[in-house]
Amino acid sequence: MVHSTRRLIARLHARRVWHAYLFVAPIVLLFGAFRVVPSLQTLLYSVYRVELLRGRFTFIGFENFRELLADPTFHRAAWNTLVYVLVIVPVSAALGLLFAVVFDTRFPLRELFKALYFAPMVTSTVAAAVVWWWLYNPQFGLFNVLLRLVGLPIQPWLMSSRTALLSIILFSIWKGLGYNMVIYLAGLQAIPESFIEAARIDGAGAFQRFRRITFPLLAPTTAFLLIYNSIQAFQVFDQVFVLTSGGPAGSTNVVVLDLYRQAFERYNFGYAAAEATVLFVLILGVTVLQYVYSKRFEVSY
Amino acid sequence: MWTSPLRALGTLALLVLVAGVSVLMILPFYWMLVTALSPSPDVMAFPPMWWPSRVTLEHFQYALQKAPWLLYYWNSLVVAVVSVGCSLVFGLFAGYAFAVYRFPLQNVLFLLILSTLMVPVQVTSVALYVLLSQIGWVDTYAGILAPNFASAFGVFLLRQAIRQIPTELIEAARIDGAGEVRIVLSLIAPLVRTMLATVAMILFLGSWNDFLWPVIVINSGDLRTLPVGMALFKDPYGNINYGPLMAAAVISTGPMLLAYAVSQKFMIRGIAMTGLKG
Amino acid sequence: MNRRSALKLALSAPLLASRRAWGQAKTITLWYPAGDITAGAAHFTDKSFFAPFEAKAGVKVEAVGLDYDTMQQKIFAAAAAKNVGDVLFVDGSWVPGFLKEEMLDAVPDARAKAWLDAVSPEIRTLSDYGKGKMWGYPQYGIDIYGLTWNKDHFKEAGLDPEKPPRTWDEFRDYAKKLTKRDAQGNITRVGYAIRHVGHPHGVVHKHFWALYGAGASLVDDPLALRGGKVNFNNDGGRAALKLVLDMLDVDKSTSLNFPDPRAALLKGLASMQISETVSIHERAPKEAPGLKWGLATPPVRKAGDKPVTLLGSWLYTVPKMAKNREAAWQLLEWINTPEQDFEMCKKYAATPRYKVNWDKEPFKSNAYDQALKQIYPYGKPLPVNLGLNGVMDAMGGAIQKTWHHEAKLEDALVEAERAANKAIADAAK
Repeated sequence: MVHSTRRLIARLHARRVWHAYLFVAPIVLLFGAFRVVPSLQTLLYSVYRVELLRGRFTFIGFENFRELLADPTFHRAAWNTLVYVLVIVPVSAALGLLFAVVFDTRFPLRELFKALYFAPMVTSTVAAAVVWWWLYNPQFGLFNVLLRLVGLPIQPWLMSSRTALLSIILFSIWKGLGYNMVIYLAGLQAIPESFIEAARIDGAGAFQRFRRITFPLLAPTTAFLLIYNSIQAFQVFDQVFVLTSGGPAGSTNVVVLDLYRQAFERYNFGYAAAEATVLFVLILGVTVLQYVYSKRFEVSY
Repeated sequence: MWTSPLRALGTLALLVLVAGVSVLMILPFYWMLVTALSPSPDVMAFPPMWWPSRVTLEHFQYALQKAPWLLYYWNSLVVAVVSVGCSLVFGLFAGYAFAVYRFPLQNVLFLLILSTLMVPVQVTSVALYVLLSQIGWVDTYAGILAPNFASAFGVFLLRQAIRQIPTELIEAARIDGAGEVRIVLSLIAPLVRTMLATVAMILFLGSWNDFLWPVIVINSGDLRTLPVGMALFKDPYGNINYGPLMAAAVISTGPMLLAYAVSQKFMIRGIAMTGLKG
Repeated sequence: MNRRSALKLALSAPLLASRRAWGQAKTITLWYPAGDITAGAAHFTDKSFFAPFEAKAGVKVEAVGLDYDTMQQKIFAAAAAKNVGDVLFVDGSWVPGFLKEEMLDAVPDARAKAWLDAVSPEIRTLSDYGKGKMWGYPQYGIDIYGLTWNKDHFKEAGLDPEKPPRTWDEFRDYAKKLTKRDAQGNITRVGYAIRHVGHPHGVVHKHFWALYGAGASLVDDPLALRGGKVNFNNDGGRAALKLVLDMLDVDKSTSLNFPDPRAALLKGLASMQISETVSIHERAPKEAPGLKWGLATPPVRKAGDKPVTLLGSWLYTVPKMAKNREAAWQLLEWINTPEQDFEMCKKYAATPRYKVNWDKEPFKSNAYDQALKQIYPYGKPLPVNLGLNGVMDAMGGAIQKTWHHEAKLEDALVEAERAANKAIADAAK
């Protein structure tokens, strides 16, 4: 009796393992073929001089990376990307939190307004960027027209290296505000009322309640948003491509745009692959750091 | 007693702030619409004309003439439907496997799938393009779909959702003699249908608005998706054809915005949910 | 469902893949940049353009418009995948990059010789990549850069509308007089519009006249495919950059806030600009019907110098990996016969390329065509060096950095020289 049950269990177990592999096979195979293998190939290319069309691959060790580290264009691109990430990530999250708190209260037409804030998220970055490109036009764009209306000096926006990156940042903040807000709102609404009530009964003021109870309990949401925003920000491409193509004077060049240019316009595949590798390591590092850091501060209830 | 008018004032101030910011959020779309419908001289006017002096459809006519927008819609739709469909099916089964089973290499495989989230498509695009050409998938629907047949995000979310399902239910079904496939389709799927719908919506949105990969893999005019068609309309060198450009933008964003207007509650709630699970 | 549906999907994939129906007439594809970027590509959208050829050769021609900004990338990726258009209509400044990767089919020697003998000198300059070697045919209606100005603005400012500025000093003077401001001091109209945003190549194109006019050049030997050094980190290079820099900072007769020079002129936002004349010629009737504009060679550094301007080129090329090379070359031969040249240039109001066609009407008495003919002798093409992409990127970057005050003029040129020489060296390997 025992023997056959053991065999039955073994058979069941075996069946499930087989099922498991079958169920994950499509995804693993598809990703393997179309995402993982090309990624590995890129990694490989980074230590070669690649002349794709002539079919010539010359192993050059870390030459590409050395060149990368000495290249002022790459420095600028890395710097711009860093600035972009350091501004966008906290600002988006902070604004999202601010408006989530506002929207957590009751006021007329709240749902309507929430829908309006979220609308930019559903449009494609390309289409939205084209509209903003028109808005940023120095002569006829709405932004400068409004500035003139109130007597303020007009800005060059996308046309000047001083203001171009900021202009792109503004666009990205506008586009992502709804998302950050909605995520935080969900987080806020998941906090049991009882906690807040208890604090209020204990005599804590609104700000105190927020600082001591609400914000710590939002830690997982904050962690998620910071990580998500970071990954997106490091990969920024569409809007830069549409709005400025990395100019003027390299002031909005970002790493992904630069590696795209290196690969497809300069045909420097090895070099672009090296850039891509650096970017990937950076994103991985930042994500891991944030994840580890957030785990230490996690509060569960 | 004195708190009541104070609270009313506070609410009013809040409302003003919220409304003000919402105007900023919507202003680009409003201006896009006005520019698309106004005769060209109007848009260069100062002070700005917030309403067209006369509504004209000439920009739309020009834009519609210059590019086959209906075809672009169709292409975007085909790609989105197939990619979302496949992602849901593959994601459901894979999510189930990762949530319920214990098997060797489980964590490795899961991490592998997640890691694809961090490698931007720019990194893999040329190698992928070369690979696709060798199997004849360039400039085809299959080529556009290749990196999008499945979604790491979908797997992750579905795994989270399926984890919430009590194992007793699954055990009970097994004891009743249901095969694993049956369990996934008849038991699990209905239980996570909200998550499925949410994932479907997010993936659809992503596919509809995808730009870079389609622009790389599509060469034929009759295969272009909507964002590709939109990008082609724009001349980066100071084109003065803002009217048709905005008309094209309206054509591009219109349907999605309309769909959003109808289903925004669902969309917002769905996306909010994904943050919670994160 | 899982296994069966997966199988079904796998089987149907090839069906999804083959979108081209089988059993139709052979089609060759021609890739060109769509949009206003190339005035000269306008005729590709005309369906009747290829009709005579299609009838004669029994081959269909599909003209595919690509986005200019991503076109180089698409060509490259497509060539790597051996799935590229059969004919590529490309910006001449991309050709050295293609040559570096050995991507192009050369024009057969006999045909090349016949062509070079039969076309006018400026076309010969554009076609010859050294020792009679041709890698493609230049487009109709040569793309020469000239000074164009708004005659009404000149009159308004008290200047003779028929007399353009001839020296740099005069040029600065005119620009100052033509600039207009509003009540708050914002510039509403620049005397001279500059190109400083967008692709670095375009920036270099529109700076060419000043660079070469000052005695510098992009590379020392314009016909050397490999090797050589750049020639812009010197007095001439500095003077050329300083000209516009002074106009920006000292004269305040130009500004960074204005759109592409051609658009600016057409919209009345600028009084003078130096760029492709064919753009103004083609666009003015549609976009600025009331515009009275003049055309001349760009101003020279000091009185007595010879003017210099850029001979821009767009080439019909055939990539080596094209699937229908024979048919592609047939098409090019057809497009570039003297008869077609005559017909098409007449139809699209472009200047002809064959010497014999210049003697025919309407070109013989057309004022615009004859005015262009006067400018042609001063035109120089871009160098053919295989590292041209890198050189243009570097120079374009230096121009942008200087005018945007991101770097000092001298430093920008030093850095550009370093990067450009490296690009040349890399390409020569």
